[in-house]
Amino acid sequence: MKLPFHLFPLRGTITAFGLFVSMQTLRADDPAELLYVRRIAPLFSEKCLSCHGNDVHKIKGGLDMRSLESVLRGGDSEEAAINPGKPEESPLYLAATRQHEPDWKPMPPKEADKLYAQQVEWIKEWIAGGAPWPDKGRAEEIAKANATKWAAEDGAPVKTSGGLSPEWTNRKYKPENLWAYQPVKKPATTGDGPAAIDELIRARLPADLPVAPPADRVTLIRRATFDLTGLPPTPEEIDTFVHDSLSDAEAFAKVVDRLLASPHYGERMAQHWLDVVRYADSSGFSNDYVRGNAWRYRDYVVRAFNEDKPYDQFVREQIAGDEIDPANPEMLIATGFLRMGPWELTSMEVAKVARQRFLDDVTNSVGETFLAHSLQCARCHDHKFDPVPTRDYYGIQAVFATTQLAERAAAFLPDENTNGFEEKRYLEESLADHRATLTRLDEKSLKAADAWLAEKKIDPSQWNAALERARHMPKLQRGSLFNTARDLLLKQGVPEDQFPPRQLALTREEFGLERIANKGLERLAWELERYEPFALTVYDGRTPQVTAVFRPQRMMPNRLTAGELEEPCIHLGGDPFSKGPAVSPCVLSVLGDIQTTPIPDGIEGRRKAFAEWVASQNNPLTTRAIVNRIWLWHFGQAIAGNPNNFGSTGKKPTHPELLDWLAATLVEKGWSCKAMHRLIMNSEAYRRSAEHPDRKRLAEKDPDGSSYAVFRPRRLTAEELRDAMLSATGELNLTMGGIPNRPEINLEAALQPRQVMGTFAAAWTPNPFPQQRNRRSLYALKLRGLVDPAMEVFNSPAPDFSCERREASTVTPQVFSLFNSKASYARALALAARATHETTSDRAAIERCFRLACGRLPDDREFTACLAHWQKVRAQSPTPLVFARPPLEVRREAIEENTGENFAFAEKLYDSADYVPDLQPSDVDARTRALADVCLAIFNTNDFAYAY
Amino acid sequence: MPTRPFFPCAGARALHAPTRREFLYGLGASIGGLAFTSLLRAEEKPNPLAPHPGHFPAKAKNCIFLMMEGGPSHIDTFDPKPKLAELHLQEFVRQGKQKSAMESGKRYYVRSPFAFHKCGQSGADMAENWEHLAGVADDLCFFRGCQVDSVNHPTAMYQMNCGNRFGGDPAIGAWVTYGIGSLNQNLPGFIVLPEVSYPQGGAANWSNGFLPAHFQGTPLRPKGSPILDIDPPAGVNMERERVNLDLIAQLNQMQQARHPWQDELAARMDNYELAFRMQAQVPEVLDLSQEDAKTKELYGIGRDATDSFGRKCLLARKLVEKGVRFVQLYNGSWDSHDYIERAHGNLIRSVDQPIAALISDLKQRGLLESTLIVWCGEFGRTPDNGVRMGTTYGRDHNPKAMTIWLAGGGCHAGHTIGATDELGMEAVEGVAHVRDFHVTLLRLLGLDDNKLTYYHAGRFKQLSQFGGKVIRDLIA
Repeated sequence: MKLPFHLFPLRGTITAFGLFVSMQTLRADDPAELLYVRRIAPLFSEKCLSCHGNDVHKIKGGLDMRSLESVLRGGDSEEAAINPGKPEESPLYLAATRQHEPDWKPMPPKEADKLYAQQVEWIKEWIAGGAPWPDKGRAEEIAKANATKWAAEDGAPVKTSGGLSPEWTNRKYKPENLWAYQPVKKPATTGDGPAAIDELIRARLPADLPVAPPADRVTLIRRATFDLTGLPPTPEEIDTFVHDSLSDAEAFAKVVDRLLASPHYGERMAQHWLDVVRYADSSGFSNDYVRGNAWRYRDYVVRAFNEDKPYDQFVREQIAGDEIDPANPEMLIATGFLRMGPWELTSMEVAKVARQRFLDDVTNSVGETFLAHSLQCARCHDHKFDPVPTRDYYGIQAVFATTQLAERAAAFLPDENTNGFEEKRYLEESLADHRATLTRLDEKSLKAADAWLAEKKIDPSQWNAALERARHMPKLQRGSLFNTARDLLLKQGVPEDQFPPRQLALTREEFGLERIANKGLERLAWELERYEPFALTVYDGRTPQVTAVFRPQRMMPNRLTAGELEEPCIHLGGDPFSKGPAVSPCVLSVLGDIQTTPIPDGIEGRRKAFAEWVASQNNPLTTRAIVNRIWLWHFGQAIAGNPNNFGSTGKKPTHPELLDWLAATLVEKGWSCKAMHRLIMNSEAYRRSAEHPDRKRLAEKDPDGSSYAVFRPRRLTAEELRDAMLSATGELNLTMGGIPNRPEINLEAALQPRQVMGTFAAAWTPNPFPQQRNRRSLYALKLRGLVDPAMEVFNSPAPDFSCERREASTVTPQVFSLFNSKASYARALALAARATHETTSDRAAIERCFRLACGRLPDDREFTACLAHWQKVRAQSPTPLVFARPPLEVRREAIEENTGENFAFAEKLYDSADYVPDLQPSDVDARTRALADVCLAIFNTNDFAYAY
Repeated sequence: MPTRPFFPCAGARALHAPTRREFLYGLGASIGGLAFTSLLRAEEKPNPLAPHPGHFPAKAKNCIFLMMEGGPSHIDTFDPKPKLAELHLQEFVRQGKQKSAMESGKRYYVRSPFAFHKCGQSGADMAENWEHLAGVADDLCFFRGCQVDSVNHPTAMYQMNCGNRFGGDPAIGAWVTYGIGSLNQNLPGFIVLPEVSYPQGGAANWSNGFLPAHFQGTPLRPKGSPILDIDPPAGVNMERERVNLDLIAQLNQMQQARHPWQDELAARMDNYELAFRMQAQVPEVLDLSQEDAKTKELYGIGRDATDSFGRKCLLARKLVEKGVRFVQLYNGSWDSHDYIERAHGNLIRSVDQPIAALISDLKQRGLLESTLIVWCGEFGRTPDNGVRMGTTYGRDHNPKAMTIWLAGGGCHAGHTIGATDELGMEAVEGVAHVRDFHVTLLRLLGLDDNKLTYYHAGRFKQLSQFGGKVIRDLIA
C-alpha cells in the first residue's frame, strides 16, 4: 500500500555522508551548530518528535528524527530527509515550507501547527550550514556557554507551578508575550488627570499626523449620552449644553458629571458587563428552563455600577459573596455570576460529566471575565503559548470543587423592584389548566380500568386497593391516580397483565396532551420562582448525588457531611475519568508572589481567599482588564485588542503606558469606575471630532486606526437602536429593574414552535400593556433558546460565550427588521403622533422628528425631501394599517415522539386576553399617519443608526 | 519556546472592522435571508462566496444533508440485530462504571418490530418498510462505525453539525462555503430547510460561528414568511415601500456626503436595494408549481404522509441545480423512547419515498455524481429500554452506535462499512469518532480539514476541532 506520507519522494538523494562525519569536529563557533542547539533541536522536539521519535512504536512514515543518522536514513521510502548543504534538495525543508505539494506533503500536517516563517528559515540556514548535529554533551556545553547571551535575546523561562514535562516547565518566553503578567508601572507624566491620557496618546501619535478638531457640542453630547446611558440625549439636554456659556471643556465636564449621576448609567454599564458574563434568564441546552431569579443578579450589577461600588469589591462579591456574608441577600445574589453559563443535568447524562462541565465553565469564566485570560487552553494540556500549566488550571478549578449550585432563600431588598408580580396569575392559569387536563385524562383511564378488568375477568379488588392507597399518597405519580396505582402494583411485583396498561383509553391526542401537561407543570415550577425570594446562587458543600435536575435546587441539608468531597486532580487530556496528579486550590502561579491569603483546603472559604487574590491591587491582570474594558466602552476599541485574552495570542496593547497609567490610577482612585469614565471622557482624545482634516494622511500614517487622532463613529447596538426609538417617541418606560419584561418581537418568531426536552417550550407572549412592553432592552426576558430576531440581527451576542466586544456588521436582514417590521411601523407612528402633538406647523413637526431621532435639525435639503414625501403620502391617503395582535391561542402541530404521527394541540396564550395595543394608525389623523412614513425613513437613516 | 501563531489574512481581517464587501452576504441565524451580490461593484475585493478551488480535486460539488433529528434507531432501520429477538424482554445488565439516570433501573432487551431484508445487488440490510429506498440500495454507502460524545439532543446535534458539543462553532455548511464558496451568487451558499418546529439547540445548528456572517445558514421557514419580516405589515403595497425607500435613499445620500470616508454607509445603503429585490425573488425560488405532475408524484407531494418532506427534497434538488453549495434538510423528531413500531414506522414512511425520489431524480439528471447526500441523526439508539416493562417498546439515546449513509458525490456506493456488536450496543469495527466522519465529508468535497482553518480566540480552529482521519473506506 502506498503511504500517504510524501516527505521522502524518489527525488531525494544522499550526496554527502562523509560531510556529516567531518561536521563532528568543527569549531565551537560554527554558526550552524549553534543554530542547531539554540533553535533546531527545540523545534524538532516541539513540532516533529511526537510523530517521529518520541514513541518508537508509532513512528509515522518510518521517519525517526532523533538522530542525524536516522534522518539521513529517511523514512519508509529510504530517501534522506535532508541533504546537508543543500536545503533546496532537502525534503524536510521543502515539506516545512508547505510550498512543494504534491511532491512534498506539508509538515507538520496540521495547518494549525505549521512553522512560522522564521522557523522555516532556521531550518534552511542549518541545512545550508551542513546540518551539524552535535551529541548531547557537546550540545549542553554550547548551551551553557551561551546561556546568558541567548536568554537576553530570546527571553527566559518563567517560573510557574510547573508543567507536565520539564520541556514545558523550562521553555522560554519572549518578553513581549509576557507584558500582562508584569507589575503595573505607572508612567511619569507631566500633566495629571485627563491631560495625562492625552500626553500618553500624543507620545505614540505618528509624526506629522494632525489630530481632528474637537467635535461640535451637538455631536459630542449625543456620543457621550449613548456611551454612558445607552440612550439619546433629549432636545432639552442638548440645548442646555449648546447654550452653556462655559468653555467647551468645562461645559462638557458638567455633562459627564450629570450622566454619571444618572441611574441609566448603571443600566448601560450592566449591559456591557452582562455581555461579558453571558447573562440569560434561562439555562440553555435541552430544557432551556427559565432561571426565575437571574434578574436579581442583573439588577445587582446595575446597582453596583450606579453606587460606584469599588471594583475590587465588585469582583470579590461575584466570586465569593456567599462566603463573605451569607446573611446578606445582596451577597448571595452577587454570586449569581458563577451561575451565568449555560448548564443542565438531564437524566440522559452521567452526573459527573455534567458537574465537570460546570467546573470547566466557571474556571474559564473567572479567567476571561476578571483576569482577561482564557484558561480553557490549559484544560487538556499545559498551555501551548502562555505560562499557564494545566496544574494551575485544575488548581484554580479546585477553588470551586466545593461550590454547589442552588436557588437559595434571599429576602427581597428594599432597593429591588418587586412590582408586577401580579402577572403570576397568567402562569397560575396555565398551571390550573395543565392540572385539569391531567385530572380529566386520569378520570378517563380510571373509568376504562373498570371495564378493562371486567373484560379480562380479573378480580378488581387488588386494583381497587392500590387505588385506595394512591388516594392517600402525598404526591401522585405524574399527577395521576391511575399511574400511581399502576406503579404501586409494579413495585409489588404484580404481573403486568393483571392490571390495566399505561395510558388506557387515551387517544393519540390525549396521549400527547398528557405529556404536554406534565412537562408544562415541570417548566412552570422554574418560572414561578421568579416571584419568590430566592437567589440564583451557590453554596459550599460536598457534591450531592443528584442524577437529574428538573426543578429548582435547594441547599442540601447536610451539605458538609453528605455527598462526595471532590478530590481535585489534573484530568489528563481533559477527561474527567482520567485522573492525573492531585492538586490543591491555588492561583495563577505565573503572577508570583502577590498572594497574601493562602487558599484553605476545607469545604468553606476557598473562593473568598481566591477572590482576595483576584481583587488584589497588585494583580496586574485584574486592574488592566477592567480599565481596558472601560476604554473599549468609550472608544469602540480596547487598548489591548482582546479584552478577554491578554495572553500571547491576544492583541498587544497599542498604548501600554496608557494602559498602565489607567490601571494604576484606578487603584489610586479607590477602584472607582466613575472616576475612570470622568478621566477618559474629559480627555481631548474622547472629545475629538469624527471628521479628520486630512483623511489621506490619516490612512497613510494610521492604517489600523489606533492613533486616536480622530474619533471613530460607531453603529448603535441592537439595544440602543430599540431604546432610542422608544425614547424618541416618548413611549419608553424608564422604570428600573425587576422581573424581566416581554416586549413584542416578530410575531412569527414569537409563535414559532420550539422543541425542548420531551415537549415544546411555551410561546413568547408579550406583556399585555404597552408600558410593560416598552421598557429598556436590558430588561427583556433573555432566553437562550429564543432570541429576539431584531436583537440578533444587529449583533446582540448569543449568551453561550463571553462577548468581549460587540460586532457591528451590516447585513441585509437588518433592513427587513428596521424597515419592514411591525415594531418599526409602530415606532414611526408614535414619533409622528408626538411630533404633530407637540408642534403647530409642518416645518416644526419635521424638525421635531429629526431632533428627537438624530439630535439635530434637518438641513434644508433633508427638510425639503421630507416635506415633499409627507405631502405626497398625505395626498394618497392610504387606508390605515391594522397592526396584528397576538392571538389568544396558537395551534401547535408536530410529530408526537411516542407515535411518530402528527399531533396537534392548542396552546393558550394567557396574557393575550388582556393585550392592549400600542398606538394604532386608526387612533390618529391622516396627516399624522402620513408623517409616520417620513418617520419610518428617519429611523432608517445613517444618522439615526450611528453615533459620531 | 512558545510558538507564535501565524495569522492568515482571513482571520486577521475578521479582527478588524468589517469592510463594506463583507456586508452584503451575511444573514441572521434565526431570520436569515437571501443575499444577492450582483450589485457589487467590480473594483471591490474578491467576493468571499465566489467559487474557489478546494485543496483536492473532488467529485462532490454540492451536499444535501438529510438530518433526521432526534436520533434514528440504527437497529430498526439499517443494522438488523436478530439476537435481540432471542433476548426480547430479558433483563439487560449494563457494564460500565458511570451510569446516567436514564441508564439506571431495570432494563430489558427489545427486539426490532420490523423485518429486514437484503436489498439491491449489494445486499444492503434494510428494514422492510423502506419500500422505495430499497430500489436505490446500490447507490448507498452505509457506515456503522460512527461514535459521538454526547447523549443529549442539543449537544449531540451541535457536535454532528458543528463538531463542537457546546455550540457556537460554524456548521459544516458554513465551513464548506467558506472553503469553496458557492456556485450561485444570487442565492446563499448554505440553505437550511427546517421543520416548522426548530430542533433542540435552535438556529445555532446552522450558525456561521466565528466565520464571517456571509457563511451563515439561511433557513427558509416552511410556514408563514420564509424569512422573517421579508414583507412589510399587511396593507403596505410595493409602491408605498418603494417611495419610502426612495426617501431613505435620498436622506442617506445627503448624510453620506457629510462622511464620505465612511465605507460602511455605502454598504448599508446598498442593502436597502438588495432587500427590496429579495422581496420579489424569494417566492420565485420557493415556487414548485413549475414542476410537472409526474415529478411531484415521484416525490410523494400531495399525499399526507410524504408531502412535507417530499417538498423539501424537491426544493433541495432545485437549489442544487441552481448551484447552492450546501442544503440541509431537517426531519423529525426521531426520538422514539416509546412505541417505536408506530413512531419509526411513520417516520420512515414520511421520508422513504421522498429520499428515494431525490436520489433517482438527481441520478437521471446526471447530478448524483456531483452531489453528496448524507443521511444521519445526532446519535443512534439503545438495544434496551427502561422501566416500561415491555408494554411500550422504545429505545433510548446511544452515542456509541448509529448508522449513517452516504449517496452520490464519490462515496463508496454499494458497501457497508464498519459494524456494531451483536446487540447494536456499540460500534466494534471500523470505529471512528464523528470528527473523522467530518474530515471525510470535507475530503469528499475536496477540502482538507487541517487546512480549512480560521484563527479565532487564540488558535486556529477547524471543523474536527483537533484534527481527524479520513475514513478511506467511505470513499470510492
